[in-house]
Amino acid sequence: MALKEQEKRPVAAKGEHIIARHLIEDDYIKEEKNLVIDGVDVSGRWNTFIFSRVNPKFDRSFFSEIKKTVVGSRINRCWQCGMCTASCTVTPLHRRFNPRAFIYMMQLGNMKELKKYVDVAWRCVGCYKCSQRCPKQVNPAEMMEALALVMKKYFPEEVESKLKVDEDVKKIYEDMILGNGRLDLAKLHISSMRKMGRTKELVDRIEGGAVLKMVKDGRAFSLLQLGKPHGWKKSRQAIEGYLKKVDTIEKN
Amino acid sequence: MAENILVVGGGPAGLHSAVTLADIGANVSLVERDSFLGGNPKKFKYKFLFPDMQPADDVIGELIKRAEKNDGVKIYYSSNVSNFKENEKKFDVTIKSPDASETKTFDSVIVATGFEHFDPARDAKYSYQLFDDVIDIKDLERMMGENNFVRPSNGQPPKNVAFILCVGSRDRHVGNQYCSRVCCTVSVKQAIELRERFPDCDAYIFYMDIRTYGFFEDLYWKAMEEHDVQIVKGRIAEITSGPNNTVICKGEDTLLRGPFEIPFDMVVLASGMEGGPQSSEMVDKLGLELNEHGFLKPQNVTLAPFKSNRKGIFLAGACTGPKAISDSIVEGGAAAMDAYIYAVKNK
Ligand SMILES: Cc1cc2nc3c(=O)[nH]c(=O)nc-3n(C[C@H](O)[C@H](O)[C@H](O)COP(=O)(O)OP(=O)(O)OC[C@H]3O[C@@H](n4cnc5c(N)ncnc54)[C@H](O)[C@@H]3O)c2cc1C
Ligand code: SF4
Ligand code: SF4
Ligand code: SF4
Repeated sequence: MALKEQEKRPVAAKGEHIIARHLIEDDYIKEEKNLVIDGVDVSGRWNTFIFSRVNPKFDRSFFSEIKKTVVGSRINRCWQCGMCTASCTVTPLHRRFNPRAFIYMMQLGNMKELKKYVDVAWRCVGCYKCSQRCPKQVNPAEMMEALALVMKKYFPEEVESKLKVDEDVKKIYEDMILGNGRLDLAKLHISSMRKMGRTKELVDRIEGGAVLKMVKDGRAFSLLQLGKPHGWKKSRQAIEGYLKKVDTIEKN
Repeated sequence: MAENILVVGGGPAGLHSAVTLADIGANVSLVERDSFLGGNPKKFKYKFLFPDMQPADDVIGELIKRAEKNDGVKIYYSSNVSNFKENEKKFDVTIKSPDASETKTFDSVIVATGFEHFDPARDAKYSYQLFDDVIDIKDLERMMGENNFVRPSNGQPPKNVAFILCVGSRDRHVGNQYCSRVCCTVSVKQAIELRERFPDCDAYIFYMDIRTYGFFEDLYWKAMEEHDVQIVKGRIAEITSGPNNTVICKGEDTLLRGPFEIPFDMVVLASGMEGGPQSSEMVDKLGLELNEHGFLKPQNVTLAPFKSNRKGIFLAGACTGPKAISDSIVEGGAAAMDAYIYAVKNK
């Protein structure tokens, strides 16, 4: 009976038997489920190996690369006081978005850490509060742009898979800009609510009130038929040209 | 008749005391245990001094010249105080030199016996003297001073260097809780020099706090902003040997959490300052007191920082605690004033 149970035992999770296993990250443990060496079965825990935590080095080439960009030129100034993160508009909403920490990872070329933040690294809304506060005038807001460049260059696959552009919203957005030369916030809001299946809420007090307010205070421009901005044709052509260019670059 | 005043110690503090006193007409006896004047900066051949990178020769050399040229200063080289007795508010002192022994009566005394560098070998975690490529800031000063900065293990220039702050300071384990005050500034200064001379060599500073107080902060900013010196927050807990003739620094990156082990070509330990055996010697011979940190204790750190617990004996420079050369010189002058007043009043 006891034997039978043992046979049924599930294969051990990687490094399961290591004391204080939680202290070691998965990447640092090597363990073959089935391994026979010289006829001896050393499967599972018998071949567990914990990699040395020796980091190859701090990668300064990466630091130099960032420093050469216009937006990242002041990376050497940052002394990690955290005033940027403390003042950031986004951090309270997305706790993992931490400008201070991102700058540090970039300083030390810590790609392993950076990679973990591909999903949030783009959250900066460009309010420049951080740059206004930074005592070293690092200009962390622009450092977040440098970060975006890094993400695109070094983790293209992760960026592709984790940051899906919502094609529907993109289309509504582009149509609005190219069609009217203005953003119609009310329309954008309505279409996004519709996409989320929350159309009913649109007529309730809060949402309905909000739409009404936008109409009143003029944010819902095209609803009021303000017309296109002056000389719109030229601008429109320029924008279309730009979008085409971006498209071909991204495709290559 | 002119006042007779004894100055013990010929470092920056003692030299400035002696010259100041001689300039106002006192007869000064300057007793120095080494065969040369200039104190620690001379002994360890500091080359360029913070805060403004003045050549040490210009500063220390000038202090020495002023003392040597001054007729009012009698210098006793390789000498020490062998007998010390108070005698009706004056002091009978025997000065022992290599080939003579002389007893004189002094109206007052200045003690400027300075500090000793903390010996990092006492703290085994840093593997000083175990690995050739682990040196400390005084060694680096000397190497730079001798224009001979290479990896001791193979004579090659290093590709990356780690500075480790607070070695022998702020650590109950070694018995020193205090901050040595100058080692942060010395380290950023040295990191700048290193990057200037070897632009291909990266410099990292492992720190818990960076205490480049007052205007010394300029050097800290300069190190980062003009020389790309990288600071990393976390104290190094262990140094071991690494692959390809490197030394590994084990620490925690306290900003991101988690341990690291990074190999370097060279490690420089920012070892601090201690009161040294000379402070205890002054306690034994002159009846002074030590403070809880092993430095000589002033009568009142705020109101009477240059007076000792004994009337007529005054203190100046790093013997009362870690400080920079400028502070030591200022104190030399201030103690000279106190000593002169005492001598004049008790004539
Ligand atoms: C690595 C390092 C680098 C530094 N670089 C700088 C710098 O760039 N700029 C700066 O401002 N400061 C610097 N400092 C600080 C500077 O060294 C001290 O401020 C200064 O040396 C203190 O002067 P002092 O005269 O009090 O003591 P000391 O320089 O220690 O001189 C004391 C003198 O007294 C003598 N003596 C001791 N005991 C006896 C005895 N019993 N009898 C007779 N003589 C005795 C000693 O031989 C010595 O000559 C540095 C310190 C360190 C550790
Ligand atoms: S970017 Fe500026 S505010 Fe942010 S941690 Fe660095 S120095 Fe501080
Ligand atoms: S500019 Fe970006 S990083 Fe800076 S405070 Fe605003 S949202 Fe945060
Ligand atoms: S001056 Fe800096 S390195 Fe020296 S003990 Fe103080 S904090 Fe540590």
